Amino acid sequence: MPTEPKIASLSYKRRQWLFYLLVVIFLITLPAMIFYTTGYRISFESEGTSIVTTGGIYITTDNLNVDVYLGEDQIERPRLFRSAYYIQNIEIGKHRVVVQRPDLQTWVKDLPIDPHIVVEVAAFNMPLIPQVRPITEYITATGTAVYFDVATTTDLFTKSSTTLLVYATSSLATSTFAINEEFLFVESLFSSTSTSSLSVFEQLSDSLERFRFSTTSDALDDEEIATTTEPEIIRGGIRLVERDREIFAVWQEGINNIPFYFCLTDRGSTSTAKRYGQHVADAVQRLSVSTTSPIIVDRDRLCRSEIKLNHLGQDVYYYNFFPNNADLILLHLEDGLYVTEIDDRGWQNTQVLYPGENFTVVVENDLIYILEDGYYFEVITEIELP
Amino acid sequence: MSPDDKSQILPYARRPDFKVARATELSGADRRLFRFLEIVPGVAAWATIIGIVLASIYVPFLAAYFIIAFSIYWVLKTFFLSVHVRHNWKRLKHHMELDWGQLIERLKYDDFYHLVIFPFYQEPREVIEGTLQGLVESKYNLGKLIVVLAAEARAGEDAAALAYEMKEKFGDSFGHFVVTVHPADIPGEIAGKGSNTHWALTQVKKQVIDPNEIPYKNILTSIFDIDTVIYPDYFNCLIWHFLTSENPYKSAFQPVPLFTNNLWEASALSRVMAMSSTFWQMIMQERPDKAATFSSHSVSFQALHEIGYGQANVVSEDSRIFWNLLIANNGDFEVVSLSYPIAMDATTATTMWGTIKNIYRQHRRWTYGVENWCYIVYHFTKNKSIPLKKRWSIALMQGEGYWSLVTNPIMLFILGWAPIFLGTREFHETVLSYELPIMVRNLLIVAMGGLVVSSIIALSLTPPRPAHQSRFKYIVMALQWIMVPLTMIFFSAIPGLDAQTRLMFGRYMGFWVTPKRQK
Repeated sequence: MPTEPKIASLSYKRRQWLFYLLVVIFLITLPAMIFYTTGYRISFESEGTSIVTTGGIYITTDNLNVDVYLGEDQIERPRLFRSAYYIQNIEIGKHRVVVQRPDLQTWVKDLPIDPHIVVEVAAFNMPLIPQVRPITEYITATGTAVYFDVATTTDLFTKSSTTLLVYATSSLATSTFAINEEFLFVESLFSSTSTSSLSVFEQLSDSLERFRFSTTSDALDDEEIATTTEPEIIRGGIRLVERDREIFAVWQEGINNIPFYFCLTDRGSTSTAKRYGQHVADAVQRLSVSTTSPIIVDRDRLCRSEIKLNHLGQDVYYYNFFPNNADLILLHLEDGLYVTEIDDRGWQNTQVLYPGENFTVVVENDLIYILEDGYYFEVITEIELP
Repeated sequence: MSPDDKSQILPYARRPDFKVARATELSGADRRLFRFLEIVPGVAAWATIIGIVLASIYVPFLAAYFIIAFSIYWVLKTFFLSVHVRHNWKRLKHHMELDWGQLIERLKYDDFYHLVIFPFYQEPREVIEGTLQGLVESKYNLGKLIVVLAAEARAGEDAAALAYEMKEKFGDSFGHFVVTVHPADIPGEIAGKGSNTHWALTQVKKQVIDPNEIPYKNILTSIFDIDTVIYPDYFNCLIWHFLTSENPYKSAFQPVPLFTNNLWEASALSRVMAMSSTFWQMIMQERPDKAATFSSHSVSFQALHEIGYGQANVVSEDSRIFWNLLIANNGDFEVVSLSYPIAMDATTATTMWGTIKNIYRQHRRWTYGVENWCYIVYHFTKNKSIPLKKRWSIALMQGEGYWSLVTNPIMLFILGWAPIFLGTREFHETVLSYELPIMVRNLLIVAMGGLVVSSIIALSLTPPRPAHQSRFKYIVMALQWIMVPLTMIFFSAIPGLDAQTRLMFGRYMGFWVTPKRQK
């Protein structure tokens, strides 16, 4: 018969021993963790083991299920329904990031990686084949767009695609269909919007000419002044302006909220060209002597107040912010509708959204409408998962 | 209390400020000192929280390093405490399997009485019946039990009538059965379990102990919540520990409260909170040198008599009685862990919102135990007979306990991300800024491994499944532990902060009676 319990309580000595063991583990782990989280890594690649410093890239994408590559290495996809990638353990130096998907245009950028620093970047991928939603004058009872007088051999969507049903008929009879209210709205948009065949640069010089003649003769009335004033296109603190046959994205607010791509982390002009491209070094050189758009020195970085947009050397017929986005710009050029990024580090990725020479564009309520050959479309910008 | 009684009171316990509850009861420098002590915990907690926010804004790198250090500390602390839980679990199981009746056969215990006090307020009949029935089913000689059912006059005539009805039903089963009715509005008291218990102790002394000339040293007093259902061998286990302890009259005996009476009917939230409280008590069972009494516990009547039966003017009377004893005995008093369970009720209500409110209020009352820190530090400055090292050790340890209770969950689950949202632009561009949440998340996942252990232990302590309950509930019981991060914030840190802030501003709390089982 037992005279006392067999399991004693934890002795003070044992608890003390465990406590000191954990203190030792803490003292070893803490510096190791701090070194790791600040970007230090142990490298086994050289002959001996060495400690190297690393940096990172934080990349956001506008599509899910894209493939992201750092150089030749594919990056593991983030958890479900996330479109941001944090790539860590990147060696110091220049690295190429590629974002692609078979049905999308590829986005590529070369970025300099600095020790302990994470470079932020936003990728975008427009569809290879433009996606449109047809807007017709008549629709069926279920809302399907109706095309009249269409021969069986006619291809309605020669350079685009739609996932929506359309109803094509050789008949001209409209009695069985309903008037499409949206069509009337879109039609009114195009009729009320100037659809000049002049480029925006020509329009600007034309209006300046008119302004010059007006002011040399009689005073302008208010209405005339309003028509000659450049339209304000502003989003997220960025204003789009045209100057010297170029389009610029101009940061209008304080330094605290300035988007990352306006700023550079190295101030040497040779190094800037090497890190970000000659065009960036040239821009810095130009802005450093500018009195209207000066360079802002913000502690360890150099921020430009404006970035020139790449319009592929073509005339620009229309420009605006891409719907629901302050980092991408919509450009209607001579051979199509394009999307370009303001971020010019490395280069500006420019992707065609809708090709063609004879169409007009209106952006209303963050929707892009196109009128081509008498047909109206909405260009779909959010691509569904494959 | 008669002059004779006072002569037996320990010298330090005769001080007029021995039973101080709040600064307003003192005057002059003592009042200022006590008020300062009442402010310290709240200021420490708020300073920590605000300090981390400010550090995240102005020195985010330092804040990030601190958060990493704190997360590692938390993982190691979790491991350290889980070692205690696992060991106590083994010990608890072992103690539950032992035949304590056999163990005490070699000891001389026939002269000892067990005084069992059940203070109650408006708890329903079935709770009281269940409790007394548990007592009847005890394996101990019931003739040696003095049972006191302590009613409150505040609760109305029905409560007293119910107590007498219970005496009618169970009175003959025990050596003595006394019903006491604590008068309302006795000057210097606050309504609550402490004042009721104090009244019951003085009444049973007058009505039973002194008339029967039972030596105070031969009485072991168990002060139980009314929902306490003892396990059959409780009194055998208690007397064994009493008679084999090094210093039985300088010891309080602490069982492990299992809040399992209504566990199958309680919501997952109630179960998690109940089991979390049990786990904390299991940890303290393995480090009794750092423990105080909690909830239902036992102590010799002699020891209680020497301090005038504890305080009738505090909220956290269960722990205060231990601190009274420690200070009056010049530091020579300790907790002896029984590692034997008693069953109590998990906090519930008829609705989910009611349950949430009840749990919050119960934990706010428990965490108002910070008033004890003010009391012990105040008396540590007065009673120089307590070894200095012991005074510092207890003051720092208890202070750290109340501080970490309030701040740690908030720091871990909320402020750990503060530098990322509040830090400077330079910080946001660094690898540290991106790695910090990943590191903290991973460390918390490691720490959450302790929850798996908790889940297993909790299931092993769960009473058998009633026939009308689905087996599926076992799965819910296993998975319910994922709520712990939330319960730590909303039912530990925030009520704790609430209690400390009230004390800091001198808005003293009263006793809130936790509602027991409801139909």
